[in-house]
Amino acid sequence: MRVEDHCVGCAYCMLVCKFEAIEVFGKAKINEEKCVKCLKCVIYCPVKAVKG
Amino acid sequence: MIAVVGAGLGGLLAANLLAKEGYKVEVYERLPFPGGRFTSLNYKGFEISTGALHMIPHGSRGPLAKLLKKIGVRVEIIDSKPEGEFLWNGERIEVRRRVFPLKAILKFYKELAISKFKDRTLDIFANSLDDFTKAFLNSFLGWSLSIYSEDITFRKFYEIFKQTVKYRGPGIPIGGCKAVIDELVENLESMGGKIYLRKEVRGIKKSNEEVKLLIEEWKCFDGVISNIGHKLTAELMGEKVNLPEESRGIKYTLKLEEPFLEHTGVLFIANKNIAGMNEVTNADPNLGKGVMLQVHQPFKGDARRAIEDGLREIREVVGKNFELLAVQSFSRDWPVNRIKAGSDLGVVFKERIVVVGDGAKGGDIEVEGIALGVEKALEELRRWI
Ligand SMILES: Cc1cc2nc3c(=O)[nH]c(=O)nc-3n(C[C@H](O)[C@H](O)[C@H](O)COP(=O)(O)OP(=O)(O)OC[C@H]3O[C@@H](n4cnc5c(N)ncnc54)[C@H](O)[C@@H]3O)c2cc1C
Ligand code: SF4
Ligand code: SF4
Repeated sequence: MRVEDHCVGCAYCMLVCKFEAIEVFGKAKINEEKCVKCLKCVIYCPVKAVKG
Repeated sequence: MIAVVGAGLGGLLAANLLAKEGYKVEVYERLPFPGGRFTSLNYKGFEISTGALHMIPHGSRGPLAKLLKKIGVRVEIIDSKPEGEFLWNGERIEVRRRVFPLKAILKFYKELAISKFKDRTLDIFANSLDDFTKAFLNSFLGWSLSIYSEDITFRKFYEIFKQTVKYRGPGIPIGGCKAVIDELVENLESMGGKIYLRKEVRGIKKSNEEVKLLIEEWKCFDGVISNIGHKLTAELMGEKVNLPEESRGIKYTLKLEEPFLEHTGVLFIANKNIAGMNEVTNADPNLGKGVMLQVHQPFKGDARRAIEDGLREIREVVGKNFELLAVQSFSRDWPVNRIKAGSDLGVVFKERIVVVGDGAKGGDIEVEGIALGVEKALEELRRWI
């Protein structure tokens, strides 16, 4: 999973990730070790910043 | 048939009004949930808002509450009490007219007279004030509008001031922003209106008699209501527009052991980057499993540096005894306001295409302005449908 530069930091991805794989402080950061690639964060991002 | 692009608050209000008049309405929303920046996602037992601070600027008396009633949607709004306090030198002072020096009030009327022939930016007025009044004005602008005094002219501010005096302060909907959205969705569907989630509109084409939207394939409509702002609407038509800047903000959601504010109003903060905070679980305990304190901070430039400042200030004001549930920042295409308060553009985009929501507001702030803008936009759209 990759977060592109135009991420605004709204944290919707963090709020919906069931695996606590995302931290957001200004921008999202995905912890690859915890991520199961369910793609929920991709679907909820309002600016299409997460790429699977 | 009318299409609404985006199921934000503006789009849903417009769809409901049209469906009530008997029009066939279809709402297309890109995300898997309706409400855009005016709803919440449940996280660790708390209704973390997707934007708005679970507050309606003029509570049960304002334009949004009136429009909801007109549509036939019932939402209970708890009016804040006190409306606001101001944290000044460690002391909380209830915000009332009499706490401001008479001199400041006289200066206000003087600037009002000047503004009739020379409308200056608000910082000129702010800098002429005593420290207390100036600090309050800045916190108010930061909390309510995510702007600084140099971003708005005196007359534009005066319009907002008049609305606030007329309708007074904020209120909290029971169930938060999401309750408003859920009710609007249910009401729309009960009238035969349709909402399609996870359906992005990818293009707009216009001819004399109709508007075509590219959803999965091109589909024709008699009129289109865009809830995605002027910039994105133009992009979908393959055009570019030059727009005033957006306003940016950071929202911190904290879980506390004990209430800090102990009331349903706003605590404005003097002379800091963070502008204010509210504790909406005092109005509706179901908004979180525990006390939920929301802090709002306007910012310019880089979010990360602003967040470092904000967190330090939160510790100064609130102490260290809290769990930080979420830090959310809003800018560019997902901002606090698509266009800074006072600079909103018109509601007609092109023949048969109107814009509603943030960026196309009527003469009031935030969701109150959205309510006024929606009514204006539909008046225009009726010319063509
Ligand atoms: C931190 C913060 C605090 C705020 N606090 C308050 C407050 O306390 N009180 C208040 O009144 N206001 C507040 N606001 C402002 C308020 O939240 C917004 O003004 C309001 O929610 C904007 O609504 P809108 O109708 O413009 O639509 P939006 O919420 O922007 O919705 C637009 C919808 O369109 C969808 N969309 C986008 N592109 C497409 C496409 N191509 N196809 C289909 N769908 C698409 C989006 O996914 C979205 O759901 C706050 C905002 C923020 C960010
Ligand atoms: S949802 Fe998208 S914009 Fe928001 S923080 Fe996550 S990646 Fe960034
Ligand atoms: S893909 Fe799923 S598990 Fe991975 S970060 Fe996104 S939401 Fe979390």
